[in-house]
Amino acid sequence: MPHKPIEWCQLLHPGPKRAFTTDEMARAGSDSPSPTLLASAAINFAAIAFVVLQLAPASQTARLSAALVALAVLGSAAARWLWWRPWARPLLQAQLGVTATVVLMVLGISWRVPDRADREAIALALILGVSLLVTALWFLVVWRANQIEARLREQAEREKAIEMARRLAAAQMEPHFLFNTLASVQHWVQTKDDRAAALLAALTGYLRATLPMFNRPMVAAKEELAAVERYLQVMQARMGTRLVWRCDVDEALQGLQLPPGVLLTLVENAVVHGLEPQLGGGELVLRGRAQGAIAHIEVIDNGPGPHPAIQEGVGLTNIRARLALACGTKASLTLGPAPDGGFRAELQLPLKMDKS
Amino acid sequence: MTRVLIADDEEAPREQLLAALKQAWPSAQVVAAAGNGVDAWDAFLEHEPDVCFLDIRMPGLSGIDVARRIGDQAQVVFVTAFGDHAVAAFDAGAVDYLLKPVDAERLAQAVQRLRARRSPATADGAAGMQALLRQLAEQMRRPAPLAVLQAGVGREVRMIRTDEVIYFESDSRYTRVVHASGDALIRTPLKELLAQLDEQVFWQVHRSVIVNHRHIAAAVRVDEGHIHLALRGRSETLPVSRHFQALFKGQ
Repeated sequence: MPHKPIEWCQLLHPGPKRAFTTDEMARAGSDSPSPTLLASAAINFAAIAFVVLQLAPASQTARLSAALVALAVLGSAAARWLWWRPWARPLLQAQLGVTATVVLMVLGISWRVPDRADREAIALALILGVSLLVTALWFLVVWRANQIEARLREQAEREKAIEMARRLAAAQMEPHFLFNTLASVQHWVQTKDDRAAALLAALTGYLRATLPMFNRPMVAAKEELAAVERYLQVMQARMGTRLVWRCDVDEALQGLQLPPGVLLTLVENAVVHGLEPQLGGGELVLRGRAQGAIAHIEVIDNGPGPHPAIQEGVGLTNIRARLALACGTKASLTLGPAPDGGFRAELQLPLKMDKS
Repeated sequence: MTRVLIADDEEAPREQLLAALKQAWPSAQVVAAAGNGVDAWDAFLEHEPDVCFLDIRMPGLSGIDVARRIGDQAQVVFVTAFGDHAVAAFDAGAVDYLLKPVDAERLAQAVQRLRARRSPATADGAAGMQALLRQLAEQMRRPAPLAVLQAGVGREVRMIRTDEVIYFESDSRYTRVVHASGDALIRTPLKELLAQLDEQVFWQVHRSVIVNHRHIAAAVRVDEGHIHLALRGRSETLPVSRHFQALFKGQ
């Protein structure tokens, strides 16, 4: 255990250290106190007031009641003020302010009360009241800060999920891919080359398969593989003899459910980073096997293989996150060098998806 | 007559640019249409064109790499598909580029600009462009430089460490590797080897010669326009062609 120093400022004035910005307060702390909260505060105060009045001598009830009302007004004003700034420094200011006011109040009353025992009883009752109030303010600030922090955290997580979905869609619809393909289509249309029709058909098929695919949480491997094949057909038309590819997947895997775009991303990575940068192009193999209850899918290219200095990109991070979300720890993605040089990505998934 | 080089690794866009260029600039002569960066650079050295249209993503050497090597020796127009991150840098740096599929009107504008400033760019402009290209080149992922060469000699395959190589020389269909303890022939063409070597160590000094700069003893001016390299502890000299003479200008 590392030695932790004492935080002296927390001893002097405890409370949440984080001061929220105006923007954070607007996003997560713009709500007024709920009626339930106000009612429970009122009931608690009434209970305390009752106890204080019971303890004090009957002769001082009028004075004490007035003092308690003043305390309630003061306390609720401080609470309201803290509601919009729930962190340590305003808390300290409010607590000092309330305590100072009550001390003045005690001195003021004592001056007019002749009996010493009565004076002491009033002072005791008011000091008890103010310590409860100061503690209540502290509770309020801690509770409110936690509430705002939780809301901010939730918002950040929601934004992250949206960002991830957006990036996924962007990664699939890479404009570079689209426009490069269109450049070939345009030229072959202009020159009345037959390859135009085939390339356009493959591109259309790819778009038709991928666009609706990403709206769903899971797709059948059959659909995903159809999109992969369309993609490879497009790249084949563009790269010509520089691309050789083969898909060999067991019949048993056709019904396998997986998060959409996983295989497509692996295949795109193999083509874009493994084969396209090679002068002579290369070969891509997609192989799927069922072993017991586990599906093994490999995407192998014979490009330059893993680069030690290259970090996993958005596409791969995305895949890992979605696999974990869909299958928990039962799914795995292993990346590394292929046995004969090149790059190999291996995906393992449970064949049957149980929702447990 | 303006001599033009075109480079794109995909056939259709290359052909499209070629056809569009014929329309937009009938007087230009396309001296080479290369299918990758390595061929583009080799064709540049062979033909010394005035204008180069370079695709950015190409195998071997990228369009950025080729442009960096060309320096101020020719005008460069990049050709790229929408979505390339370099485009933003080009916009900021006033570098000419065309988007694929190449639009006839945009091409005509680019040609007009090229014809308007026929002389190579000003020194300041060229230096700025070089800095931008260097920056873009650093962002690209590239494989680690080649560490070992495998040369078949008779029945054995010799492993030659690249850091022991003194120089490489094109020898018809082969590349001759001269190293500390002899020489050998490998099948990889010099132009392809170039893209796999560490640029800092191996300097290309001629279309058919790459030399490990640590072995250069002196650059000797033979006559106007001719420089030879003398090597440490060796009797042979290596020629430096015109494009590379700026490497040896003294301080």
